[in-house]
Amino acid sequence: MKKISYILSFALALSVGFTSCKKDIKEINKNNPGQFSDSDPTLMISGAQLANVLVNEGEAARLAGIFSGHHVGWDRQFVSYNDYVMTAGDFNTPWGNLYTEGIAQCRIIRAKAAKANNKQLNAVACITEANLLLTASALWGDIPDSEACTEGISSPKFDKMSDVHMHAIALLDSALSYGANHANFSGAYVGNHNWAQVANTLKARAYLRMKDYTKASAAATSGIAAGKDLLADHSQATPGAWNLYYDFLDWNRAGYISASGSHMQKLLDSSSFFRNNAKTDESDRYAYYFLEDYYTPLDPNIDNGIFAATNNFAIVSYVENQLILAECAIRNSDFNAALTHLNNVRADNATNIGGQYDAYVSADFGPGQMVPGTDANEAIKKEILVEKYTSLYGQIEPWCDLRRTNNLIGVVPNKGTKLPQRFLVPQEEINANKNAPAAGDLFAPLELFP
Amino acid sequence: MRFKHLLIAISASSFAPSAFAQASGPGGSPGSDTIDVGTVTVTAIGTTKNVRKIGYAVSQVQGKGLVSSGESGVIQALTGKASNVQITRSTGDPGSGAYIQIRGQNTITGSNQPLIVVDGIPVSNSSLGGGVDGVVQQSRLNDLNPSDIESVEVLKGAAAAAVWGTRAANGVIVITTKKGKRGMSIEFSSTYAIDQVNREYEKQGTFGQGAGGRWVANNANSWGDRIALRSGSDSINAAGARFVADDGTVYGTIVRKGDRTVYNDKNREQVFRNGITWNNNLSISSGNDKSNMFFSLSDWNQQGIMKGLSDYRRTTARLNFTQNINDKLTVGLNASMAKIISNRVQMGSNLDGLYLGYLRTAPDFDNSDHKGTYYSAAGVPKFNAHRGYRRYLGDAAPTYNNPGWTLNEQTNTSDVSRFILTPEVTYKWRENQKLIARLGHDMSTDRRITYFPVNSAANQANGAFTDDNIQESESSLHFINQGNHKLSSDINLNTTFGYLYTYKNFYNIGGTASQFIIRDQDRFAFINSTTENKDPFNSFSELINNRVYGILDFDIKDKIFLQLTGASEASSTYADRFFSPSASLAYELTKDVKPSNLLSYAKLRLSAGRVGVAPPAYIWNTNYVAAGSSSGWGDYLDGSLYGGSIYRSSTQGNPDIKPEMKTETEIGADLKFFKNKLSLGFTYYQNKIEGAVLAIAVANSTGYANQWKNAADLSNKGFEVDMNLSLIKSDNFNLNLYGNLGTNRNMVDNLNGAAPIFLAGFTGTSSRAVEGHAMGALWGGKFAKDENGKMILDADGFPTASAEEGVIGDPNPSWRGSVGLNGNYKNLNFNLLVETCQGNQMWAGTYGVLNNFGVTPETATEFTVSAADAANIVDYRGVTLATAAAAGANGLASVNADGSITARGSLKDFGSGNVWLNQYWYTSLGGGFGSVAEQFIKDASWTRIRELSLSYALPKSWSDAVHIPGGISVGFTGRNLALWTKFEGLDPETNLTGVSNGRGLDYFNNPGTKSYLFNIKFNL
Repeated sequence: MKKISYILSFALALSVGFTSCKKDIKEINKNNPGQFSDSDPTLMISGAQLANVLVNEGEAARLAGIFSGHHVGWDRQFVSYNDYVMTAGDFNTPWGNLYTEGIAQCRIIRAKAAKANNKQLNAVACITEANLLLTASALWGDIPDSEACTEGISSPKFDKMSDVHMHAIALLDSALSYGANHANFSGAYVGNHNWAQVANTLKARAYLRMKDYTKASAAATSGIAAGKDLLADHSQATPGAWNLYYDFLDWNRAGYISASGSHMQKLLDSSSFFRNNAKTDESDRYAYYFLEDYYTPLDPNIDNGIFAATNNFAIVSYVENQLILAECAIRNSDFNAALTHLNNVRADNATNIGGQYDAYVSADFGPGQMVPGTDANEAIKKEILVEKYTSLYGQIEPWCDLRRTNNLIGVVPNKGTKLPQRFLVPQEEINANKNAPAAGDLFAPLELFP
Repeated sequence: MRFKHLLIAISASSFAPSAFAQASGPGGSPGSDTIDVGTVTVTAIGTTKNVRKIGYAVSQVQGKGLVSSGESGVIQALTGKASNVQITRSTGDPGSGAYIQIRGQNTITGSNQPLIVVDGIPVSNSSLGGGVDGVVQQSRLNDLNPSDIESVEVLKGAAAAAVWGTRAANGVIVITTKKGKRGMSIEFSSTYAIDQVNREYEKQGTFGQGAGGRWVANNANSWGDRIALRSGSDSINAAGARFVADDGTVYGTIVRKGDRTVYNDKNREQVFRNGITWNNNLSISSGNDKSNMFFSLSDWNQQGIMKGLSDYRRTTARLNFTQNINDKLTVGLNASMAKIISNRVQMGSNLDGLYLGYLRTAPDFDNSDHKGTYYSAAGVPKFNAHRGYRRYLGDAAPTYNNPGWTLNEQTNTSDVSRFILTPEVTYKWRENQKLIARLGHDMSTDRRITYFPVNSAANQANGAFTDDNIQESESSLHFINQGNHKLSSDINLNTTFGYLYTYKNFYNIGGTASQFIIRDQDRFAFINSTTENKDPFNSFSELINNRVYGILDFDIKDKIFLQLTGASEASSTYADRFFSPSASLAYELTKDVKPSNLLSYAKLRLSAGRVGVAPPAYIWNTNYVAAGSSSGWGDYLDGSLYGGSIYRSSTQGNPDIKPEMKTETEIGADLKFFKNKLSLGFTYYQNKIEGAVLAIAVANSTGYANQWKNAADLSNKGFEVDMNLSLIKSDNFNLNLYGNLGTNRNMVDNLNGAAPIFLAGFTGTSSRAVEGHAMGALWGGKFAKDENGKMILDADGFPTASAEEGVIGDPNPSWRGSVGLNGNYKNLNFNLLVETCQGNQMWAGTYGVLNNFGVTPETATEFTVSAADAANIVDYRGVTLATAAAAGANGLASVNADGSITARGSLKDFGSGNVWLNQYWYTSLGGGFGSVAEQFIKDASWTRIRELSLSYALPKSWSDAVHIPGGISVGFTGRNLALWTKFEGLDPETNLTGVSNGRGLDYFNNPGTKSYLFNIKFNL
C-alpha cells in the first residue's frame, strides 16, 4: 500500500513539474520564434523598392500595356482583359503591393531614418514613396495619400490626383534637400544611377502629367543623364530575381500576352505605320522587342531581347527624361531644342539597340517630309510621342501620355471607340474602406487626363 | 464452445441497428436481445455513462459499422451514420483526407474540425496542406485502423463537450478502442477491393486542336478543324525534327494534319485503372478476472484508380492491456503505431497536375508515349524529353503535363510514422472514490517529397524538389477523481473533478531545390542545385493549455438527471482564464406516465453550455517578415535575393485577443413507440458564436492587408432526427429501417464592418465569409444587370460583366439525410444505406474552363441557318456568320450547297435576338477564364447508395471441416454504387482546397471513386 502512495506522490510531483508556473504559459506564445519583432530601416528599404519594381514592371504594367496597345491579351483571362472586360477584383493585387509593401514601408523607414538622422536613407525613402504615389495616381487617379498608412485611420480618404502629384513633388524636393547626390540604399536596383537625377526626372514626369511644361523642363534639366538609368536588377538567373515579363511570359503564364497585332507591332513592322525612312531603320529594335512564333505568332522578346530573364528593366530612364525635355520644348514652341533632345534619344537607340537612327534636321519634318505632319511643329510633337511610346516598351508611362494627349498618336482601341482611361477601384478597397468611391467606369477620364 | 458463442454474438451484432448511429435513446433497440451496446455511452473525458441519464444529444457509431463501410479512414467511414455530421472527402485519391463538420461552422479562419479524443486523450486530426494546387493530403485521424475501434461517440453540442472548453466548439468525437474480452479469440480477416472512377467528364470528338476553326499544332484549344473532313493521315516532313519515344515509336514534324482518329478513349485508358486494395487484419483478444488484452495487426495496401504512382499503404499495430493488481489498483496501457507510405498525384490549378493536362488535351491528340528523345532537324538529341499536346515533339517542356508524365515521372510521397501511447492508473482510494491518472502522448512525423524531373511543365521545367519534414506531438496529463455520494434515499450524486494539462508542438523543416545541375538522373538531394536555387525553410510552434473542471451528476428518483459542469482553463494564446459552464437535464417521462402500447418510452432533454475557440498562437504582435512581392500570377521578387530585406508584415497583431465564445442551447426528446418497435430522437439546437478570431481584411491603403481581431459573430440553428423501426423480427428473419436527417442554418451575423473574408479559392472565384450569408459563401463576378434584374447587353446582344463582384452561391446544404435497411435472414446479414445531401451549390470551375478550351460537348454542337439569317447573326467579336463562313475555316462555319450556313457552336437569345456562341464567346466572357463566375455556380445536390453490404456465416460443418473452429464468414460491400446528381463530370462530394474552411470549389480536382469489396473472415 505504501508503495502505491509513493507512486501517486511521484505522479503528483511529476505533474507539478510538467505544468510549472503560470508565467511560462503567458510567455511561450508572445513572440513568434520564426519572425522578428522589429527591423532596421536600412534593411527595409530594398523591400519597398521591390514593391515599386513589381508594380512598375509587373501586373499593373501588363494591364497598362494592354490598354495602351503595347500588348495583346492572348490567352485565358487576358482575352477578356484585351476586350476591356475587367472587374474591380482584377486590380486588388497591385493596389496591395503599392500600399502594404511599398508606401507603408517607406513611411516607417522615413520616420526611423529621421529619428536616426540618416538623411541619405530618408532621401531614398522619399524618392521611393514618390515613385509609388506617382504610379498609383497615374493608374487610379484619386487615391488615399494624406490619411494612408496612418495608425488609427481605418478608412483613409481619397485625395485628388493633382494633390497626390503635388505631395509626390514635395517628397522629391525633400529628398533633394536631404542631399540625394549618391547611389546608396539601392538594393533593388543596379547600374550607375544617381538619386538626385532620379528625383528630378520623377519630378519632371509629375509636372508633365500636370501639363506644367516649364517646371517639367526645369526639373528634367537636372534629370537622368545618359547611362544613368534607374534599372531594376534582374542580373541573377533565378526565380524571384528574374525580369518579371520573362517570369510571367515564359515561366508562369506562357502565351497569355502576345505582341501579335499590337499597335507596337504595327509601328515597327512593315505595316501601315511603318517608321523606317532614309534615316531610320527599326529592324534591330523589332528583333530586340519581338520574337516570332514562340508561344504566339509574335511574342514580346523574352528569349534574347528586352524582356529576357536577366535583362534589367528601366524604372526611370535617360530616354524618358530627354523626351520630356523634347515635348516641353515643342509645347513651348522651341523647335530646335525639341529636335536636339529627340536626336539625343535616337543616338541612344543606335548605341544601345543598334539599327539606324541618324540625326534628323528641321527640314525632315512637315508635309511630305520624312516625318510627315500638318506642319513641322505638329510633326515633331507626334514623333516625340511616338518615340516615347516606342522607347518605353512595357512601361506604364506611355499609357499616361496617350490619356494626357487625348491619344494624339492614334492608338486604335481593341473594342469600342475609346481607350481605357483608368484602373477600377479595387474590390478589396471598396469592401473595407468606407471612404472608397464605387469601382467606377474604365472609360471615365481622370482629373489630370481629361 | 466458447468460440461458437462468440461467433454468434459477432455475426448477430455486426449489422444490428446498434451498429449504426442512434440518438441518445435508452439503447434498448429493437434487437436488444443482441448485445445491447447502446445502454452505455462514453463521455467527453473517456468515462462511461448510461445513455438514459444523458440530457444532450449524442450519436454513437459501433466499430462494426465503420468496418463494413469499406473505407480506409475512420472519418469517411462515419459518413451517413449520424445526423448533422457532414463528412466531405477531399478527393478519391487513396488515403485522402476528409472534412468533418458537426452542426455547421463555428469559426471563420480557425479550425472547424472537431476535437478527437481517443481512449481519453486528445489526438491530432490535422490535415496539413490543401491549397488550390499540389496534392491532396491525408487526415491524421485516418491513421487509426477502423477494425481496432469499439465505438465512436459524436458529441455535438456545447453541453456535451464543455469540459474541453476552448477545444470543444466544433464538437468532440470520442473514440474508444477495443479491450480484450473474457476468454480468447483470434480473428483474421482479409478483404480484396476494387475501386473505379465514379464519374467522368465527357469530351467532344468532332473538332480538332487549334483555333479559329483551323488545326494549329501545340495550341491550347480544341477550337480547330472538323476532324471528319481530314485527308486520313498526317503529312510528315521526313527531314524535320522528331520525337522518338522510349519504345521506339517515332513522331515526326507534321506539315499538314490529316489523321482522323479521335483519341479520347485511348487517352482515358492512359489515366484510369481499377484500383486494387488488399486489407488484412489480425486480432487477438483474451481476458480473465485479472487482466485483459487486445492485440491487432493490420495492413491496408491500396493502389489508386489513377494509373501510376497513386497508392496508400497503412500498417498498424496495437496492444491494449489492462491488469487489476488488486481490488483497488488497476494499471493499463493502450499503445498503437502506424506506418503510412503513400504516393500522391498532383492536381488542381496546376500545370503539372493530372486532370488539368488530361482534360484539356485535344480530342485528336494521342497522349501515349509521354517520354522519349527529341531530335532536332539537324539530328541533335535532347534526352528525357516530355511530349504533350502543347509540345508534340517534346522540343521543350510542354505548357501542360502529359498525364502520363504526371502519373509516372513525378514523385509525391508521404511517409508517416504515428505513435499513440496512453498509460493509465486507476486507484480506488475509498469505496466510493476513485482516482484515474492518465498520460497521453501522440506523435507523428510526416516526410513529404515533391519531385518534378527536368522537362515537367511550365515553371518546373528545369526540375524542382522539395523535402518537407513535419513533426507534430501532443502530450497530456489527466487526473480524474470520480466519487459517488448518496445524498438521500431519492438523490444520488456522482462527482467528477479533473485536471488536464496539454502541451502541443509542431515542427517543420525542409527545403526546396530547383534548376537542377544534373538533368537526367532523379535524386532527392539538394546537391543537384546551385546555392541561389536552394531554399531552406523551417517553422515551429508550441501551445500549452491547462484546465480544471468539475462535473456534478444528480440522479433524482431515477427519473430526473441533472448534470452541471464547469471548466476553467488557461492557455498560452490568450491572456485571461476562460470559463465554460454547462447544464443538462434529462427527464424520463415514462416513469411518471405509464407506458402504453403506443408510447413505450419517453425522455425529454434540455441543455445549455458555453465553449470556445482558442485564438491561434503568435498573433499578439505585428511581425517583421522577409520582404517579397508577387503579382498573383506566379511572377515575384524575393527580397532574400536582393541582399535580404526584413520589413513590417502586412498583418497587424493584437495583444487583446480573446477566445471566441460559443453558447448553445439544445432541446430534444427520445421516444419509443409500439412496444419499442419504433424509436425516434429529436433535437433542436441554436448557438451563437461571438468574437470569432480572424485576420480581417482591412483597406490596403491603411498599410495593412489584415488585422487580427475578435471580429465576427456567427450563429447556427438546426434540427436533427434519428429513427429506427423494426419491421420484421423473428428467429430467422430480422429487418430494420433506420435513418437520420439533419438541417443546419449557418449565418455570419456580423463582421463588424470588415470586408468579406477570403477563405479559399482564386482571385476570380472564392469561398468567403460574408456578412448576412452562410459561411463559405461563393464569391465572384456577375453579369451586369439593370435595376429590374434584366441583363445589360452590349450592342451585339451579348451580356456584359458587372464591375463589382458579389455572392454568387452557397456551398452549404439545406439538409442532409440518410435512410437504410438492415437485418438478417438466417446466416445472411445485409445492410443498405442511401444518403442524400440537398441544396448545396458548387463552383464548376473545371467545366467552365473546359468550355474555354472547346473540349466539352456543349461547345461542339452544330447548327444551320439560312443565308439571310447568317448575314445578321454575329459572334462575340461582332463578326457575322456569313463573314465567318466566307473565311473558309471548316471548324468555324462553312457554306452548304444550298447557300445555308452550318457553324460550330449554338444560337442563344440573351434578350435582343439570337447571337452565335462560339470560340470567341467561350474564350472570353462566356468561359471559365472570363470574369463572370456566376454562370458556373451549379446545384451540387446528390443522392447516392453509400453502402450495400452482405455477409454470410458459412455453415459450421464447413468450417469444422477445414479446422476453423470459430467459423468462417464471407462478405461483400459495395460503396458508392450509384450516384444521382445534376453536377456534371465529377462526384460533387469533393473540395479543391481539402480540409479548409473554404468549401464548394472544383477546379481539376482528382475524381471520386466507387468500390466493390470482398471479405473473408476466420475465427480461430
